[in-house]
Amino acid sequence: MNLPVLPTTTVGSFPKPDYLTKARFQFSKNQISKTELEELEKKATKEWVDFQEEIGIDILVDGEMYRGDMVTYFAENFKGFEISGLVRSYGNRYYRKPVAVAEIERVNPVTVEWFKFTQSLTQKPVKGMLTGPYTIMDWSFDEFYPTRRDLCLRLAEVVHDEAKDLEEAGAQYIQIDEPAVSVRPEELELAIEAMGIVTSGLKAYTLTHICYGDFPKIYPKMLDIPVNQIDLELSNNEFDLLDLFKKAPFTRDIGLGVLDVHSHRTETKDEVKARIQKALKFIPKEKIYVSPDCGLKTREVEEAKAKLRVMVEATKEMRETLG
Amino acid sequence: MALETTLAGAYPKIGDSTEEQKLRRALHQFDKGEISEEDLDLIKNGVTEEAIRQQIEAGLDVVTDGLIRWDDPLTYLCRNITGFETSGLLRYFDTNTFYRQPIVESRLEWIKPILVSDYQFAQAKSTKPVKAVLTGPYTIAKLSRNRFYREFKQLAFDLAHIIHKEVEALEAAGCRYIQLDEPAILNHKHDFNLFLQMYEIVAAQLSKAEKTLQLNFGNLEGLYPKVLNIPVERLGFELTKNHKNWDVIKSAPFTKKMMAGVVDARNTKMESENDLVQAVHQLGEYTSLEQLWLSTSHSLEFLPRSNARKKLELLASAAKQLRGASVS
Ligand SMILES: [Zn+2]
Repeated sequence: MNLPVLPTTTVGSFPKPDYLTKARFQFSKNQISKTELEELEKKATKEWVDFQEEIGIDILVDGEMYRGDMVTYFAENFKGFEISGLVRSYGNRYYRKPVAVAEIERVNPVTVEWFKFTQSLTQKPVKGMLTGPYTIMDWSFDEFYPTRRDLCLRLAEVVHDEAKDLEEAGAQYIQIDEPAVSVRPEELELAIEAMGIVTSGLKAYTLTHICYGDFPKIYPKMLDIPVNQIDLELSNNEFDLLDLFKKAPFTRDIGLGVLDVHSHRTETKDEVKARIQKALKFIPKEKIYVSPDCGLKTREVEEAKAKLRVMVEATKEMRETLG
Repeated sequence: MALETTLAGAYPKIGDSTEEQKLRRALHQFDKGEISEEDLDLIKNGVTEEAIRQQIEAGLDVVTDGLIRWDDPLTYLCRNITGFETSGLLRYFDTNTFYRQPIVESRLEWIKPILVSDYQFAQAKSTKPVKAVLTGPYTIAKLSRNRFYREFKQLAFDLAHIIHKEVEALEAAGCRYIQLDEPAILNHKHDFNLFLQMYEIVAAQLSKAEKTLQLNFGNLEGLYPKVLNIPVERLGFELTKNHKNWDVIKSAPFTKKMMAGVVDARNTKMESENDLVQAVHQLGEYTSLEQLWLSTSHSLEFLPRSNARKKLELLASAAKQLRGASVS
């Protein structure tokens, strides 16, 4: 893979353009067809691919124009799940939770067609984007399996099948997000075991994204998660996390979150550079990938674009100083 | 007095019908500047009334205002305590919900009652007693970031005094049931002596209201039975099927009133009414059923409203069956 030092990428989701939000609403009211909606999802995906190419991001994503929630999307496409009523996550944000009501099965590949479509639009590598079994389990209600472990390990097999299919379709990078991993230290072992099942036998470069948790409680144990790279949210809390790396070195590649996805304000190039600089004190440059803290889907389109431009430009300037 | 039912805190802010989503719409409009703060407050009042009505309809004996106005367990209190700023989002314990982390920037001070007008509003709308619910000083201290006090202990004691004043104000307003949520102590059991000292401050000379200390998001192992020394009248904790607490409370006589979280508020799977009745009979070995509160294990905000209602109806139905049995 031909990547520059400090490769830039994103965590996965981008904001949906207004026309797509409107179309999704119309589709939910049966006012437009599935095909009409898909046309617009493809149009929006292409726009985001073009934007990522234009600003020079190194590893692209499809932006998840066709997904709602990261867990619900998979649950809707796996057999054995139903979808609950609305549950609040923060402020005025609500989501529908999956409910496991029968044995979980993957009837067809879920993300592969979107991966192929997106990869066909660009020469740059596109990441396959999946949600990990531990997070799907933790963010679902369970009315079927006797224990959390049973549900989690079953999901691991199903997500593994999806990852295999992505690899066969040509994905060189497969990201398996596990944001829930950081909250129950006593279940980290289970999350590691489940990720082992997902990544078993994969040749693609694998990474996982973890965010908004009590990292001191799971570090350095979390380095045992069997992936090549761990992508972390770091800006939201002003990089305290790096202090942990003093105690135990970060042994995986790191996806370095340098943009706070919850603030409207665009970071300055100097802020981004300072964040990279700080990470360079603890981690060799060959092991650092630069990305936002988390998915950008909650920002406005223009906010997200402005932030990403700054991220890429700052990274390019950093590369020059590193020679 | 016989066995009664309550919920452990918040009620879901919205439901699935369009009518039940007015708060969500109003907040959206407020963010865009389309409605005023007064308009938004009116909606919040309406939804609070709706939450109280639904709890009463489900058959609860002691209700809450649903904490409809609360963004998260910390921000609503902390933004009214001088000395706090708020910052980024952090996950609230092991849930998929978030809170804004309060930052202590200067000496913390209580200026005026924070929850009294909410209590008065709710009680005026309710035929059942309204229990005030607030996050306790230890959990506030533990989940905040301290940039001011030299020692955690100073922060903890100042917060204990602040919550004392708030509890005192609620008592003075006529509130008879006050629940203090302290999940953080279950993750920091070594802090128990400090915790006890804090509650001596919180409860000092307050005797009008019945105070419940709610300890969830974990188990009481290592804290029981010494947790019975905390100067509150009632202790709430999780007692869902197979929960560790069932073993823990066997180890010593239970000398307070109990709020038993027998219904799992974090899963949609419905308990069987018979299992609940059995569980309560078992509790009868440790505590007087006459004074028992049956409750949900947690706030109901982790469930969709339709499921939350079903859980409350189940709770009330089990209680009814139990009361019927004890009368005959
Ligand atoms: Zn994230």
